[in-house]
Amino acid sequence: MSLFSRLKQRNYQIAIISLILVVILGFWKPHVLVEGLQRACLYAVIALPMALILGIVGIINLAHGEYMMLGAYFAYCLNVYVGMDPLVAIIPALIAFFLIGIISYRAIIKYVLGAPELNQLLLTFGLAMVLEQMANLIWTSRPIKLPLKYVSASATIGSFTFGTYEFIYVGAAMIVLVGLQLFLKKTSMGQAALAVGQNPRGAKLVGIHVDRTYLLIFSLSIALVGAFGAIFMTRHSIFPLVGAPFTMKSFCLIAMAGIGNLMGILWCSLILGLAENFVLSFRGYAGWADILFFALIVCVIIVRSRQRQVK
Amino acid sequence: MRNSRYLLYGLILITLLTLPLYTGVYLLNVMDIILMYMALALSWDMLLRSGQISFGMAGLFGVGGYAAVLLHLNAGMNPIISIVLGGLAAGALAWLIGVAVLQLRGMYFAIVTLALAEIFRVIVRNLPDLTGGPEGTVLPSAIFAGNSIKTYWLVLGVAVVSVIASEIFGRTRIHFALTSIRNDEVVAKSSGIDVFKYLVFIFMVTSAIQGLTGGAYAHIYGFVSPEGSFSVDFTLLPIAMALLGGMHSTWGPVVGAVLLGVASEFLKLQIPYGHLLVYGLIIVIAILFFPQGIVGTLGQRLKKTGKA
Repeated sequence: MSLFSRLKQRNYQIAIISLILVVILGFWKPHVLVEGLQRACLYAVIALPMALILGIVGIINLAHGEYMMLGAYFAYCLNVYVGMDPLVAIIPALIAFFLIGIISYRAIIKYVLGAPELNQLLLTFGLAMVLEQMANLIWTSRPIKLPLKYVSASATIGSFTFGTYEFIYVGAAMIVLVGLQLFLKKTSMGQAALAVGQNPRGAKLVGIHVDRTYLLIFSLSIALVGAFGAIFMTRHSIFPLVGAPFTMKSFCLIAMAGIGNLMGILWCSLILGLAENFVLSFRGYAGWADILFFALIVCVIIVRSRQRQVK
Repeated sequence: MRNSRYLLYGLILITLLTLPLYTGVYLLNVMDIILMYMALALSWDMLLRSGQISFGMAGLFGVGGYAAVLLHLNAGMNPIISIVLGGLAAGALAWLIGVAVLQLRGMYFAIVTLALAEIFRVIVRNLPDLTGGPEGTVLPSAIFAGNSIKTYWLVLGVAVVSVIASEIFGRTRIHFALTSIRNDEVVAKSSGIDVFKYLVFIFMVTSAIQGLTGGAYAHIYGFVSPEGSFSVDFTLLPIAMALLGGMHSTWGPVVGAVLLGVASEFLKLQIPYGHLLVYGLIIVIAILFFPQGIVGTLGQRLKKTGKA
């Protein structure tokens, strides 16, 4: 049996086992399934832009969640001062955060591209702290939530009631994932970006403007995550520290999926989302859900390092 | 040359030891803060010399604090011994984490440590019977019944331990091992250095220092809480101090800690709710414009003028 077919067979086995597990879960605890799916897509939308930056620009952006937090506050301000609905505010947020991305790249990120990884980590960590504390100064640490009626929409099947508004995350994840795949595979700009991600020097040799590609990808990712902040704030209360856990969870997903694997992020976020909601569904143990991602990272690292040693 | 240097160190130490004779309580309290952050900044820098970056100071600091307080309360241990054991507990925990995670380095290690404070906070919050849960635990009385002079000596002891550890790491063969790991891991490996073992060892030692500081802090202020003990301050300030002063040396973090420690007293009064912003800015600016820090940049200047 060739390695390929064996791999394929193994994939089928995994798929069948997980399908059976999902069906059992669906009958046992249906809300875990539905809310887990919604939560998974929430994680996926945030992780995808971060994966894009890491895969192509090669920088781990520790300030990623903070940009989402700023996007949420941006939508909040538009709502308070102009009366704009947060979901409409997605469009101005896209434009504004594209510009913010350009400024961040030109003013800060560009200078550490060639620097050691250590400096990049420190710089984006410092940036995260600056953004967090700036938000803390402007809006204080008090949690804010907009009173929106449509977010509590729900549907009932039999005796099982679930929120339908959160399916907006599923929609957003699909749009971002499909959009990014099309952009990277079909457009010349996206193909150029992929080439830069694989080999910057080679891309430069064949005439791709590497710096401009970095700029575009970085700003695009910031725009996506900033605009998602507007969706995020319709359902969740926001405060300056709201973004930080998402940075770490996004990295957990990227590490699980492998750098550059956008599709894999969706599957990994399903694992994380379902697992977290599964733990949340046990009364008295709900608090432990927040350490699941850490356990996942550690497991992934142990498995990865084993694989590397075997090689 | 060497003798005069030791004379200088001795003079500094004697001045610091006898400081309570000439100053008031307020300055001693400021010195406590400066010395504690100095220990944290030094321990962070010691790990940085191996090319690994840790954002987990707040986590290990809090673990040390909790371990010290719980040992003191539940096992009736002498506060000083409980502080030492708190440091050892943080070191043991770091050993576990290091063995699991340090095979993959760089950003993987950095993010795992970044998550540590959050993880420990969740754990502490979810074990209310042991740790007091979200409210934390309050000690019946602070260490030495709040005597500020003895407290100062305790903190000075912790700071001296970290300076000595840093000097040992800077002068023995460990220094060469760490430097070569930082510069090129493959070369280090082929020269017979067990990279993994060295990294786990130094992560353990630096974490133990952080735990020790945390234990001292918890006993001096007499309480531990999930928000207070794992506060981001204990990660952010030491990094800003070490970067401002200069990486990869003993004197950089010391100078940075003194400068920023004095400045932080002023900043806390000026911008009570956003003084951390300044430290974030210092990190960004230091990385962009003077990655060598004050000590490194001045050292280069001096060398240049000396040559010319």
